[in-house]
Amino acid sequence: MEKRYITVSTLNRYLKNKFDTDPNIQRVSLKGEISNFKGHTRGHLYFTLKDEEGRINAVMFSFNASKLTFVPEDGMKVLVTGRVSVYPPTGSYQIYVEEMESDGLGNLYLKYEALKKELAEKGLFDAGHKKAIPKYPHRIGIVTAPTGAAIKDILSTIKRRYPICETIIFPCLVQGELAKDDIVKAINEAEKYDLDVLIVGRGGGSYEDLWAFNEEIVAYAIYNCTIPVISAVGHEIDFTIADFVADLRAPTPTGAAEMAVPNMVDLFTFLEQIKIRCTSTISNKININKKHLLDLKDNYVLKNPLAVYEIKEQKLSNLIDILNSTITNKLANAKLKYNHIKENYILNNPEELLKKKKHDYTLILNKLEILNPISILSKGYSVVSLNDKTINSTDNISKGDTLNIKLYKGSLKAKVESVGK
Amino acid sequence: MKEKKFEDMLSELETLVKKLENGDTDLDTSIETYQKAMKLAKECGDKLNNAEEAVNKILSEDGTLKDFHIENA
Repeated sequence: MEKRYITVSTLNRYLKNKFDTDPNIQRVSLKGEISNFKGHTRGHLYFTLKDEEGRINAVMFSFNASKLTFVPEDGMKVLVTGRVSVYPPTGSYQIYVEEMESDGLGNLYLKYEALKKELAEKGLFDAGHKKAIPKYPHRIGIVTAPTGAAIKDILSTIKRRYPICETIIFPCLVQGELAKDDIVKAINEAEKYDLDVLIVGRGGGSYEDLWAFNEEIVAYAIYNCTIPVISAVGHEIDFTIADFVADLRAPTPTGAAEMAVPNMVDLFTFLEQIKIRCTSTISNKININKKHLLDLKDNYVLKNPLAVYEIKEQKLSNLIDILNSTITNKLANAKLKYNHIKENYILNNPEELLKKKKHDYTLILNKLEILNPISILSKGYSVVSLNDKTINSTDNISKGDTLNIKLYKGSLKAKVESVGK
Repeated sequence: MKEKKFEDMLSELETLVKKLENGDTDLDTSIETYQKAMKLAKECGDKLNNAEEAVNKILSEDGTLKDFHIENA
């Protein structure tokens, strides 16, 4: 088939015609974020609409733009309505915006993300700053609207779980332009009372309804609050800045009350468990001691007390033996000593000495008696002397010498007649 | 200040139980601790049982605390 060439402008005109006759894009409602915003001097607005994955050029002519109630700017989330068509000179398609409004939710979300990031960087969400929630609060403050489901839920939950806890409500607006200042004021009021916990929150609502709890001044009021704060904003799925700053985040107001107070029933159970623990511990202890006692009773000494006696008896016998032998020895020694002393005594006793001397003397006397020449004379012997000298030989004796003869009884004078040899 | 005391009682009770369960103490001391703990546990229970139901208050416009009834919420 022979090729037919057409011009660029013919193609663009053809496509423009296609776009302009497609009912689906003749009136389109679009959601996106403004970027590359340019306000033209003639009042026309040129910008790009984008989301995470795509972009489209947009133009809003001055007669539509003049009806806007806000000033568009980059980063703003907007809802637009218009038609999509091709601009033949560039061959690009774009949306011709007829109506545009601010996407409140989208903008709030952007604001939320930005503030969350900023406060996180400033350390307002730091775990280290978070205060512990006391377990058994005496008095709880509640910053919320004085009417509505939230306050009812909180009060009834506290009453049900822990009726002895006092509550003080610090009423405030929880939505609308004035809410943020009111919440801050209520938190500051609460600081004046001796409170153990402060619940700050409200019931469920739209994203915009909850917005006050995403405000920076509310975040700082919670951050600077000296009372431990439990946040309770909306439902489980709702996360607000207040939740990140609070010392504890509760999913709902009811949840906050449950976190703030213990359950009396649980407490009674806890006390019962304590009692059981104590009793079983002490029972164990007593049993251990009983067993110890039984073990002691089983000891052979206690079972056979004579055994101890026997051992002692044996020991006693030994001791007696030792004692006996010791005494005998001592006695013997003493006797020996005594005899020795006695002997010495005898030897040195003057009386005894005298006796001995007397005896000796008698002996000597007897001896003397035997030796006494007189006693020999009695047997007939005589003692002859010359010139008083006893003689026992004839030497030096001469005839005519007069000799003295001593007899037993009496004496004689005799003349020597001859001298024999 | 009643409930502050209750918290103190509870923490004292827990200290006693830990001491008892520690097992280092002699029997006489343990029995004494046991009796103290049981007495304290009873007192805690009594305190909860006998405590009066607290009244809800609301900070009013004039800055004073007024009684608040849940039906008015």
